[in-house]
Amino acid sequence: MNTFMRWTGFIVVLFIAAPLVIVVPMSFSNASSLQFPPPGYWLGYYRAYFTDMDWLVPTWNSILIATATTVLTMLLVVPATFALVRHKFRGKGIADVMMLMPLAVPHIVMAVGYYSYFGDLGLVHSHFGVILAHTCLSVPIAFLVLSANLKGFDRNLERAAQSLGAGPAKTFIHITLPILRPGLIISSLFAFIQSFDETVVAIFISGRDAETLPRKMFDSIRQEADPVIAVISTLLFFIVLIGIAAPYFASALRSRAPKPSRPAGAH
Amino acid sequence: MGVSLSKLTEKTDIWPWLLLAPLGVYMLIFFVVPLADVAIMSFVEPKVSFANYQKVLTGALYQRVFLNTFLTAAFVTLCCLAVGYPLAYLMAHSKPRTAMLILLLVTMSFWTSFLVRTYAWMVLLGNNGPLIAFLQMIGIEQPPQLLFTRFSSTLAMVHILAPYMIMNIYSVMKKIDPALIRSAESLGAKGWSLFRHVYLPLTAPGIANGSVLVFVICLGFYVTPVLLGSPREQMIAGLIGHQVDEFLAFGLGSAMAMVLLVITLVILTIYHRRFGLDKLWG
Amino acid sequence: MTSHLQLSDITKTYGHFTALDNVSLSVDKGEFVTFLGPSGSGKTTTLMIIAGFEKASGGSVKVGGQSISQLAPHERNIGIVFQNYALFPHKTAVENVYFPLQMRGVGRAQGLRQAEDMLSLVGLKGFGHRHPKELSGGQQQRVALARALVFEPSLLLLDEPLGALDKNLREQMQIEIKRIQRSLGVTTIFVTHDQSEAMSMSDRIVVFEKGRIEQAAAPLDIYHRPQTSFVAAFIGESNLIPATITNAAARTAENPTLGGLDYSGTEVLSNGQKVTLLVRPEHIKLSRNPIEGRRNVRMTVETIVNYGDNALVIGRAGDLPMRVRVLGADVVIIKEGEECCVSWMRDSVFVITR
Repeated sequence: MNTFMRWTGFIVVLFIAAPLVIVVPMSFSNASSLQFPPPGYWLGYYRAYFTDMDWLVPTWNSILIATATTVLTMLLVVPATFALVRHKFRGKGIADVMMLMPLAVPHIVMAVGYYSYFGDLGLVHSHFGVILAHTCLSVPIAFLVLSANLKGFDRNLERAAQSLGAGPAKTFIHITLPILRPGLIISSLFAFIQSFDETVVAIFISGRDAETLPRKMFDSIRQEADPVIAVISTLLFFIVLIGIAAPYFASALRSRAPKPSRPAGAH
Repeated sequence: MGVSLSKLTEKTDIWPWLLLAPLGVYMLIFFVVPLADVAIMSFVEPKVSFANYQKVLTGALYQRVFLNTFLTAAFVTLCCLAVGYPLAYLMAHSKPRTAMLILLLVTMSFWTSFLVRTYAWMVLLGNNGPLIAFLQMIGIEQPPQLLFTRFSSTLAMVHILAPYMIMNIYSVMKKIDPALIRSAESLGAKGWSLFRHVYLPLTAPGIANGSVLVFVICLGFYVTPVLLGSPREQMIAGLIGHQVDEFLAFGLGSAMAMVLLVITLVILTIYHRRFGLDKLWG
Repeated sequence: MTSHLQLSDITKTYGHFTALDNVSLSVDKGEFVTFLGPSGSGKTTTLMIIAGFEKASGGSVKVGGQSISQLAPHERNIGIVFQNYALFPHKTAVENVYFPLQMRGVGRAQGLRQAEDMLSLVGLKGFGHRHPKELSGGQQQRVALARALVFEPSLLLLDEPLGALDKNLREQMQIEIKRIQRSLGVTTIFVTHDQSEAMSMSDRIVVFEKGRIEQAAAPLDIYHRPQTSFVAAFIGESNLIPATITNAAARTAENPTLGGLDYSGTEVLSNGQKVTLLVRPEHIKLSRNPIEGRRNVRMTVETIVNYGDNALVIGRAGDLPMRVRVLGADVVIIKEGEECCVSWMRDSVFVITR
C-alpha cells in the first residue's frame, strides 16, 4: 500500500509541476504560435509585453482595480468581523452564513446579474463597476482570514491595556491593531489576489475601457494564443514563487541571526 | 467563567449592528440586488412567464448540457480524489524536507492564476506540443486531436482543482495521531485492512470537504471549459455566458443561472447542515 | 487602620443565575487578601467587578472612600496580573512596563528609566530588551507584575497568576510576590483555588462558595476555626462528625456511632442542637490498644497512603469514614484490614454550627 501510494504520489507531482514549468521556456520562444519545445529562444515577447499598450493598460487596470477593491473590502470587512467575532446577538448565525454567500454563488451567475444590473446603473465598462463587483467577491475571503485571526486574539491583552490606563481608542491603536497586523496584511493580500485573478465577472462587465489583465488574457487565448501570454504567465508565476518563498527565506535568515543567550537559572 | 457567561447574556446593544451596517448595506446593494435581478429576469424576460424554465428544464439541448455538466463535475471530482489522495499521503508521510517541497509545489499551483494553468495545458496538448510529439515518436502516425476536446478540458480542470482536494485531505492526514496507526497495527490490522478500516475512515472528513468543494466549483466552471473544451460539449456556465453575451437572451441565461445556483446551494446547504460552511474554505 | 477597599452588597446576576450574592468586604491599606474557592464560586467575578470589566447588578465598590463603580477600567488605577500574564507580544519587556506610564503621559526617556528600575525590583535587570516569547514563564510573570506595579496603582489584583507555573517555580514566586508586595506596601487581592498558596501568602483569606463569602479570616483562624462545614472541608483535610449536643455546659455531644464526644470552644450552644464536629486528621492519635484517660474509638483500616515522611490512614469507625495522619515511622504498627484504636484530645474538636 505504502509503496503504491508513494509511486502514485510521485507521478502526481510531475502532473502538477509540468504545466507550471512549461510556461517558462515558452516565454523565451521565438515561435509565433504554440510550439514546444520552442524552435529557438529570444526575448522578443518580453519586449513586446513591456511596450504594447494593449497589454500594459489591462495590467495597470488590474492593479488599480485590485488595489481599490482591497481598500474597500478591508474598510467594510474589518468592522464587520469585529462585530461577528466579538459580539453575540440575535441573527448572528445568519449573518455568519451571509458573509460566506458570495463564495457559494458561481461567478457566472453573478456575472449575469452584474451585466444586467450594472447595465441599468450605467456602471458597465467602468473601473468603478468592476471594483464594486470584485469587492463583493473578496469580502468572504478577507473575512475568513481575519476572523480566524481575531478568534485567536487573547482579549486579556486588551483588558490588561485598559487596566494599565488605556481607554478604548488607545487600546485599539496601541494593542489590538499592531497585534492583528499580520492577519490584516494576509487578509488584504487575499482580497487583492482574488480581484487580480478574477476572470468571469471581468469578462462580462469590464468592457474595453476597464479591461483587466485576466480578461485580456482570456480573449487573447481564445482568439490568437498570443505568445505574450507565456511572458505574463512566467511573470505571474515568479511573483507567486517569490510571494510564497519570501516568508521561508525571511524566517530562515531571522533564525540564523545570533540570539541573546539566556542566562541559566534566572526565571 | 463569569466572563463567558456574561457574553452569552449581554444585552442586545447597538454596537454590533453599527459595525455590521456598512457591509450589510453594501452587500444588499451590490450582491443581493444583482442576484435578485437574475431571479427576476428569469421570469420576466422577454415576457412574464415560466417559459424560460420550461425550456431549460425540458429542452433536449439544455438537458444534455446539464447532464454533461454533472457527469463532468463528478468525473473531475473522482479524478481529483485519485490524484490528490496519494499526493496528500506522500506529503503527510515523507521527510519534512520532501513534504515541504511538495507543499510548496501544490501551493504554487494553487496560487498560479488558472488562466496561466489553462494556457499551459494548451501548450502541452497542442498540435505542436510535446505530448503529440511523444505520441508520434512512439509510432502513432496520426495522433488524435487532444486540444479542444472533452479530454483536454477535463484534464486541465483536474489539474486546476486538485490543489483544493490535496490541501483538504493533507490537513486531515497531518492531524492523524501516529500512535493510532501503531495501535491498530498492534491489534493485527495491516496492509489493505489497516487502510480500509483505520486510515480511510480517519481521512474521510478531508475527502468529503475536498470533494464538495471541487464538485461545486466544477459545476459553475466557466473559463477552462470555454477555452479548452469542445464547442459541441459545452458545460452549463459556458452556455449561460453564450446565451447572454452572444444572443442577449437574458431570460434564458438567467433561468439557467438560477437552476445552477439552486443546485449549488442545495449541495452546500446539505453540507452546511452536517459540517458547517466555514470549515469548507477554512 | 482605615479600610482601603470597601465592597458593599455586591450582587451579580446573569438572567436567573446568581453569580454573586451580597458580597461585602473591607480590605485595609497594605493588606494581602486572598480570594479562595472552587471554580465558579464567584471569586474571579468579584475581581472583575473590582477591576471594572464586569458590571455589578447591585452594590458598590469604594477605594479610599471614593466610589469607583461608575469608572471605566482605564480610569480606576488598578494593576492586574492575569493568569496568562497578557504581556503585549509586540513590545519588549521594558516597553510593556513602560506602557502604563506612556498612557499617563510620562516621557519616553524618563518612562523607560522608571520601567527599567521596576524590572530591577522584580529581579529582571538586563532583560528589558527581550520580547515576551524570549522569556521563561517565571520571567514573564515578573514582567507582568512589574507592569502592574510601575504606575503605583491603588490596588493590585492577581488572577491565579501562578497557575501556569510548575511546582518549584510556584513556590519561588510565592515568596517573591510576597517580598515585592511588602516592600511596596500595595494593597493586594490574590485569587486562587490553591489553598496552600492562600495559606502561605495571605494576611487574610476570603473563602468563596456559590457566590457568597463563607468566611473571611486570617489563615490560621480559617484552618483551626472554620465557621462552616464547607470551609472545614475545603481547607485542609478534615473529619466531619455529625453530632447532637447532650450537655452544653459540660461541652459534650453524641454521635450515634461513636457515642459521647467532648468538644472545645466558647460558642453558646443549647442542648439537643444539631452540630458538626471537626477533627483534623493530624490531631488524631492512632494506637493498637485503647489509650487510658481518653475516649477511644475503634476503627477498621481500609487503605494506607504512604507519603514518606507521613502517611494517611483511611478507615471506618462503624459507618463513619475516618482519616488519620500519622508520622511515617509510626505507620508500621498497623496493616490494611486490621482494627485499631483512634483517640483525640478535647482541644482538637471544634464545633461547626452551620
